[in-house]
Amino acid sequence: MRNSRAILDDGGNVAIDSAVVTSRGAGKAARGGHQSCQEPILSNEKMPRQRQTNGRPKACFQHLRHLELYLVEEFQKGRKVADLYELVQYAGNIVPRLYLLITVGVVYIKSNELSRKDILKDLVEMCRGVQHPLRGLFLRNYLLQCTKNVLPDVADDASSSASNQEVWSPKHVEGNERNGEGEYGSIRDSIDFILLNFSEMNKLWVRMQHQGHSRDKDKREQERRELRILVGTNLVRLSQLETIDVEKYKKVMPGILEQVVSCRDAIAQEYIMESIIQVFPDEFHLQTLNGFLRACAELQQAVNINNIIIALIERLAHYAQNEESTGIPADIPLFDIFTQQIALIIQNRPDMPAEDIVALQVALIKLALKCYPDRVDYVDKVLETTVEIFNRLQLEHLKYGTPVSKELMHLLKIPIDTYHNLLTVLELKNFGPLFECFDYHGRKTMSAFLINSALENDTKIPTPDQVDTILNIVSILIVDQSDQPDEPDDPEDFAEEQGLMGRFIHLMVSDDPNQQFHILNTARKHFSNGGNARIKYTLPPIVFAAYRLAFLYHSLQNDDEQWEKKCGRIFQFCHQTIGALIKAEQAEIPLRLFLQGAIAAGKIKYENYETVAYEFMSQAFSLYEDEISDSKAQLAAITLIIGTLEQMSCFGEENHEPLRTQCALAASKLLKKPDQCRGVSICSHLFWSGKKEDQEEMHDGKRVAECLKKGVKIANQCMDSSVQVQLFVELLNHYIYFYEKGNDQITIPVLNQLITKILSGFDFFFLPFFFFSSFFSFFLPFFLFFFLFSFFLLFFFFSSFFLFFFLFFFFSFFLPFFFLFSSFSFFLFFFLSPFFFFFPFS
Amino acid sequence: MSAATARIQPKKQTLEDAYSPPANFLEIDVCNPQTHGVGKKRYTDYEVRMRTNLPVFKLKESGVRRRYSDFEWLRNELERDSKIVVPPLPGKAWERQLPFRGDDGIFESEFIEERRHGLESFINRVAGHPLAQNERSLHMFLQEPVIDKNYVPGKIRTT
Repeated sequence: MRNSRAILDDGGNVAIDSAVVTSRGAGKAARGGHQSCQEPILSNEKMPRQRQTNGRPKACFQHLRHLELYLVEEFQKGRKVADLYELVQYAGNIVPRLYLLITVGVVYIKSNELSRKDILKDLVEMCRGVQHPLRGLFLRNYLLQCTKNVLPDVADDASSSASNQEVWSPKHVEGNERNGEGEYGSIRDSIDFILLNFSEMNKLWVRMQHQGHSRDKDKREQERRELRILVGTNLVRLSQLETIDVEKYKKVMPGILEQVVSCRDAIAQEYIMESIIQVFPDEFHLQTLNGFLRACAELQQAVNINNIIIALIERLAHYAQNEESTGIPADIPLFDIFTQQIALIIQNRPDMPAEDIVALQVALIKLALKCYPDRVDYVDKVLETTVEIFNRLQLEHLKYGTPVSKELMHLLKIPIDTYHNLLTVLELKNFGPLFECFDYHGRKTMSAFLINSALENDTKIPTPDQVDTILNIVSILIVDQSDQPDEPDDPEDFAEEQGLMGRFIHLMVSDDPNQQFHILNTARKHFSNGGNARIKYTLPPIVFAAYRLAFLYHSLQNDDEQWEKKCGRIFQFCHQTIGALIKAEQAEIPLRLFLQGAIAAGKIKYENYETVAYEFMSQAFSLYEDEISDSKAQLAAITLIIGTLEQMSCFGEENHEPLRTQCALAASKLLKKPDQCRGVSICSHLFWSGKKEDQEEMHDGKRVAECLKKGVKIANQCMDSSVQVQLFVELLNHYIYFYEKGNDQITIPVLNQLITKILSGFDFFFLPFFFFSSFFSFFLPFFLFFFLFSFFLLFFFFSSFFLFFFLFFFFSFFLPFFFLFSSFSFFLFFFLSPFFFFFPFS
Repeated sequence: MSAATARIQPKKQTLEDAYSPPANFLEIDVCNPQTHGVGKKRYTDYEVRMRTNLPVFKLKESGVRRRYSDFEWLRNELERDSKIVVPPLPGKAWERQLPFRGDDGIFESEFIEERRHGLESFINRVAGHPLAQNERSLHMFLQEPVIDKNYVPGKIRTT
C-alpha cells in the first residue's frame, strides 16, 4: 500500500518535469486554432491578455519556494501577514497573482494556524480564476504542493475541542482579524479542499481535449496522459490523510465517482479509476465495492474496463492471501458482488470484444480460486457464465490463435493448474461444454494439456463414470472428429499425443478390482473407436492393465470366491482387444501381447488356464505364420516365442509337445540359412530347460544334441565364410553351455571338432596379424615414446656429425612411411632397427 | 478585507456545465489545393472545410472550393459591412506574377502551401469572431457552393 503511494508520488515529480517541456508546445497550440473564439482579439473592447508565464512552472516554483522561506522568516519576526495577503491581490495579471496568493496564503497558515480553514477554502476557490486548462492545472498543482503539510488532519471532534480550548487565546483573536471567525480546521475541511481541487483539475484536464485542432487529437491525448499525474496527486493527498477511515472514505467515494462518471472522458475515467484502486487500502475497497463497480459499469465504452476490474480483483485476491490481513470479511459476498457487477458491465457494453469478456471471467476465476479455494462451485459458476455468454454470442469453433481462443484457453488452464487434480476439474460441470467452443487445433492443445497435467500430478481416476467423462472431454485425442482437417497430423506429434493417452490409461486405477474391470471396459469402449492408427498406441496399455488386474485377482483369491470366473472374463476381454488390434492389420504387437497373455495365464492358475495359455500361444503362432513376412521380424518373433515357451511351466506333455515341435519346425523353416541356424540352436534350449507341468526341466540331451548338430549342418551350408565362422562360434557357445550344464551328449571330441572347423575357417595368413594388432594397439603410445627416446639417447651419447646426419635423414625420410603403412609389424621393425644398426658400430 | 478584494459568492457549477464539450466549436481547414486552367486563366483553388456546433451556422459541416480572389472579396465585404478590424490576407505576391520567370511563379507548390497556411489562419480568425459570424457574406463564403457576388448584404440572426 505504502509502496504504491510512494511510486505515484515520485512519479508525480518526474511527470511534472516532462510536463514542463510539453506545456510550451501546448501553449503554442492553444494560441492558434479556435481559441480565438474564446478571446475576442479583434474587437475594440480587448481584454487585457494574460501575460504568458510561458510554461515555466518549475523555475517559477523554485523562486516561489525561496520567497516562501523568506516570508516565513520575516513573519516569525512579527510582521503582519494579513496585509501582504491583501496586497498581492492587486497584482495585475491573474496567473502570477494567484501564484503569489497561494505562496503568501501558505505563509499565513504557517505563521498562524488558526486561520487555516478559511485560507485554504479561499485559495482553492480563488484558483477558479484561471480556466485555461494547462495554466489552471499547474496552478492547482502548485496549490496542492504548497499545502501538502498544512492540511488539517484531525478528526472532527478533536478539532472542535481544540478550537474550544483556543477560543480565548490571544493568538486566536489575532487570527480572526479578517473575518472574525478563524478555525483550526478538521479532516472535513481537508476533504472538501481536496475534492474541490480534484474536480476542478479533472475539469481542466478533460477540457484540454477540446483545445486546438481536431487533427491533433492523438498528440493532445498524449499530452494529457503526461499530465495525468497532476490530477492523480489529489487522490494521493487524500489517501495520505491519517484520519481518513473507512467510514469517511465511504462518504468521500461517491463524490469522486460522480466526477469520474460524469466527465464522460475515457482517458480520465480509466486513469482515475486505476488510481483509486492503487491509492487507497484494500479494506476501503472491500467496503465500497458495490459503488465502485456500479460506477465501472457506467464508464464510457472506450474505457478499457478490463484493466480496472482485473487490477481490483488482483489486489483483493492478493489481500485475501496476505498473511497480515484478516482475509475477506465474511459479511462481504465478494464473489457474488463481482459476478453480478461484471454481468452488468458486460450487459452495458454490447460492443465489448469477446476476448475482453473472457479476460474478465479469467479475473473472476482467479478471485474465486484465491479467496475461496475450496469453493469449486464458484469456479463452475464462472464457467457457466462463460458458456452462456458464448451461446449468446454464438461463438463456436474459435479459430486457434485468435485472441478469444487464447483467452479461453487461459481461462480453462487456470483450474487445471490450480487444482493439480483432474478429478476436481471434472467436478466442474461446465468445463466440458467450453471445450466444444474451440476448433480442432484448440481442442487438441487443451486436451493434451489436460492429460499432461494429470500425468504430471499422477492423478488416479478411480471410477468408470469419471473415466467416461474425461474421455468424452478429450475425445479429440481418441476418435476422429467431424471438423478434422483433411491433411493428416504430423506423425511425430500424433505419436506423442497417442503416447500420452497410452500413459494416461495407466492412471485409470481403482482400488476395487471389480471397479477396475468396469474402468477397463469403459476405456476400451472409447478407445476401440479410435481407428487403426490410434489403437496401436492405446489398446496395448489396456491389455497390460487387464493382465495386471488378473494378477490382482489372483492375489486376492482368498477374499473373492468368484475370482476364477473373473479372471476368465479378463482373458476373454484381452483376447477380444488383441483381436481388434489384429483387425487393424497389426501383427507384431498382438503377437507380443498374446505371448504376454500366455505367460500371465500360465502363472495365474485358475480353472482351465492351460487351455487359455495354449490358445494364446497358438494364436501367436498363427500370427507368426500368417502375418509376419519380414525375415528379421520372423527371427525376432520365433526367438520370442521360443523364449516364452521356455519360461512357461503350465503345459502338460500333450500341449507342450506340439508347441515345442512347432517351434523347432518353424525355426528350421526360416528363409535364410543363418537365421535357420540361429533359430535351431536357440530351439535346443527348449529341450533342455523347457518346463512341463511338473516344474522339472526336460534335460533331453539327445534332442539338444540333434538340434545343435542340425545347426552345424546348416552353418556348413553357408557360403559366406565370415558369417559361417561367426555361426560356428555361436554354436560353440551353445555347445559349451550345454557341456557345462552336464549334457552327456556333448563331449570333448565334439567341441574339438567344432574348434577345428572354426580355425580352418580363418584365413591363417592374417591370423598372427590379428594377434599382433590387438597386442600392439594397446602398447602403441609406449612404443612411440621409446622409439623417439632411443634416438635422443643415441644423439646425446654418440653425438658425432655422422650420426646427426643420419638421424636427420631418418626422421625426414622414414617417419612419414610409418604413418603411411601404420602397420605394427613394420613399426616393430623400425623401433628395434636403430639399436641393431648402431650398437655394433659404436 | 477591502472592497476591492471582497469575495463574491461563486455560483456552483453543475457537472453538466463542467464537462460538456464547448458550445463554440469551430474549425476551418483550408486544404487540398488544385490548379486549374492554362495560360492567363490559370488559377489555384482550395477546399475550405468547416466543422462547427455554433447555432448561427446553417450547416454543421460543409466543404466548398474557394480561390484567392474569393478570400479577397470576403475581406472587402467584411471591411465594408462589419465593424471589426479585419486581419490582413497573405500578400498578393506581385513579384511572382512578373513575366519571364524561370519557375512557375504563383503556382510553385511551396508558394501554394505558404498561401494555404496564410489563408487558413485568416479564415479561422475571421470566422471565430462573434461579430463576423453574423455577416451574410461570411456564411455564403463558407457554406454556399457558389458565391453570389450580387447578394444583398445583411446580418444573420441566431434563431
